[in-house]
Amino acid sequence: MALLQISEPGKSTDPHQHRLAAGIDLGTTNSLIATVRSGKAETLADLEGDHILPSIVHYAKDGTVSVGKSAKLFVCSDAKNTISSVKRLMGRGLKDVQKIKEFSANQLTASGTGMPAVETDCGMKNPVEVSSEILKSLVKRAEESLGDELGGVIITVPAYFDEAQRQATKDAAQIAGVKVLRLISEPTAAAVAYGLDTGSEGIHAIYDLGGGTFDISILRLEKGVFEVMATGGDSALGGDDFDRAIAGYLVEQANIDKGDRSAYQMAMIKAREVKEALTNKERVEINFMHWKGSMDRALMESLIASIVDKTLAACRRTLKDAGLKASEVQDIVMVGGSTRVPLVRQKVEEYFGKKPLTDIDPDKVVAIGAAIQADVLIGNKSDEDMLLLDVIPLSLGVETMGGLAEKIIPRNTPIPIARAQEFTTYKDGQTAMAIHVVQGERELVEDCRSLARFELRGIPPMVAGAARIKVTYQVDADGLLKVTAEETITGVKSDITVKPSYGLNDEQITSMLQSSVSHAEEDMKARMLREQQVEAKRVIEAVEAALAENGDELLSKDERHAIEEALKQLAYIAENGDIEAIEEAIKVVDKSTEEFASRRMDASIAKALVGHEIDEI
Amino acid sequence: MTKAQQNYFEIFGLEPNFSIDVPKLSSKLRALLNSVHPDRFASSGSQQQMLSMQKTTQLNDAFAVLKNPVKRAQYLLHLKTGIDTSKEHTVNDPEFLMQQLELREELEDISASSDISQLNQFADKISELEEVQEQQMAELFLQKPLDTDELQKAIYKLQFLHKTLSDIEQAEDKLLS
Repeated sequence: MALLQISEPGKSTDPHQHRLAAGIDLGTTNSLIATVRSGKAETLADLEGDHILPSIVHYAKDGTVSVGKSAKLFVCSDAKNTISSVKRLMGRGLKDVQKIKEFSANQLTASGTGMPAVETDCGMKNPVEVSSEILKSLVKRAEESLGDELGGVIITVPAYFDEAQRQATKDAAQIAGVKVLRLISEPTAAAVAYGLDTGSEGIHAIYDLGGGTFDISILRLEKGVFEVMATGGDSALGGDDFDRAIAGYLVEQANIDKGDRSAYQMAMIKAREVKEALTNKERVEINFMHWKGSMDRALMESLIASIVDKTLAACRRTLKDAGLKASEVQDIVMVGGSTRVPLVRQKVEEYFGKKPLTDIDPDKVVAIGAAIQADVLIGNKSDEDMLLLDVIPLSLGVETMGGLAEKIIPRNTPIPIARAQEFTTYKDGQTAMAIHVVQGERELVEDCRSLARFELRGIPPMVAGAARIKVTYQVDADGLLKVTAEETITGVKSDITVKPSYGLNDEQITSMLQSSVSHAEEDMKARMLREQQVEAKRVIEAVEAALAENGDELLSKDERHAIEEALKQLAYIAENGDIEAIEEAIKVVDKSTEEFASRRMDASIAKALVGHEIDEI
Repeated sequence: MTKAQQNYFEIFGLEPNFSIDVPKLSSKLRALLNSVHPDRFASSGSQQQMLSMQKTTQLNDAFAVLKNPVKRAQYLLHLKTGIDTSKEHTVNDPEFLMQQLELREELEDISASSDISQLNQFADKISELEEVQEQQMAELFLQKPLDTDELQKAIYKLQFLHKTLSDIEQAEDKLLS
């Protein structure tokens, strides 16, 4: 990861100066980037003043990659080399996505890694690469408009994204060379934007109908702490489905062959225009290819009503998960451009029994919330700011005998979390055990999403049922899972760590990273050295700040001296050593501060407990 | 580093008792998370991040056990006596077995009749039984010495009631969808 902290030589990394952070809403249809400037969060525009970047990437024959509006121009004329809605493919296997309508069957092929790839004139492009182009374009926009490089970003993902989809998103950032401070869910980001503006405590529902995803989240805000009580939704439902329903009607009226891809693309564009026009008007005239006609709002609403109803069914389920009634929800925050559709607002209001909030531009609210949180995480604000607590959206389990999925971490468990489960061998002398990690709510493994398979080998031969295999699931604050397995009874420790695999391994990511940066080998090395030096500086500053804060109360003279010596050594090597030497010196500092860091953590816990007792009196 | 691992009660500065004020515990959890959560260390060194992640995980684990009466009772019994009731076990109590059978039959009948209001009434009844069982549990844990047989039975009963409640929820889901 150190590779990612790209710094130009000569730039200061003084932690006391304001560090630039940004929030990125990486959407199915549109993407945005926002930052906090002079205390105000705002989305950043391109040179022409447009804030929204269409999530479309075009690969030209000569190797030129264009993103956004310029790529959109090719949607009809060069459909084959133009990729939109790539978010739908993130972290998915070829089989999962073949039924997705934006991608015709021959456009998607197996990339050899199990991941789908889009065949373009520039070669095969996988979804992670395509997403990284969108991220690069956003980051470039931010750095040009802010005049400095970004210290880190928060990328938002649908609350419903599973492990593989989150991992793929993080990998895309890695390939784009962006340092990710945290992945947060889109509705949570929206709540941050509203929560800070209104400061209202209580239970909030975030209804997020974007281009390609629908999320409903129930959040509780109390004493500046956001807590996700439950999330639900559908990662394959959105405003694009409105367009598709309308386009289907147009194609039918115009009597066009369903296999005509470019006509279908044109129908989709026309459908979107019709939908947007009917937001304010009661009726529009339509010229579509050779067909002339009109559509009124009632007709459009009859085409899309069943899609809106699907979102309300998800609301009902999610409220039930949170143990709440619709009437207990204090505010409903509307997110995503599709919430501009009058029928959506009307049905949401009917269901919850109150008017939904639409004060902040529903297209921008997620990016704005992410920017606010990124500003907190990068350290531009004091510790007393709010804290986001998140939950895992889908249960994590393991396959047991008979193809059943046994849940190890149930959905809506707060993260980070670790859970262990014991298993045993079922045959005498069995020395290996296959572990299949799955995600989902269904009982049968085949109905759940397969995240990873691995084998634990080297179990000492014992009679059946004697071995104790402890399988531990650990989910970090980004919602990313690691699984380890070990045989505990004999003390033979064979453990293995897997991350959800959706096709890309670390080597492939590194090679994609290298090819995405058009630097020669030498440049790469120089950059890595520079990054290692920046890392060393960061470590020194962090430890010095900790020593200044409570070094005297928590350390003996000798202990403090040892740490200071290690720091001096690191400072010297950072100036004069090579990559490996700096890495080694950082490890020495880490080791020397291990006990100190742990005492600091305990001290802050003790302080929080005492503070809490006082609060109560 | 050599310090013994704190138990779940100690983590929250509590005496190991069955009676717990869950809303109060929940706000204590928030106060603690506020000082150790990984978001507080997003720009710190990797070591601090690792520690923060461990502490937060530990707090979340501890809270998940303490807020759930069945898990709390199992954990407390194990803490005090070393008895593990998390695995499958049977308890010889004919009277309770009878009651179990009757309750299961009642649930099946109501589910078959698809009567939501009857299902809700049944849920209320189970919740009441659960409350009584929890009170009894609290008293059992205050006895000295602990009556481990009675405690295991009580845990088993509470577990059954808990399971029945979640079955009622599932039945309700089916009726509503």
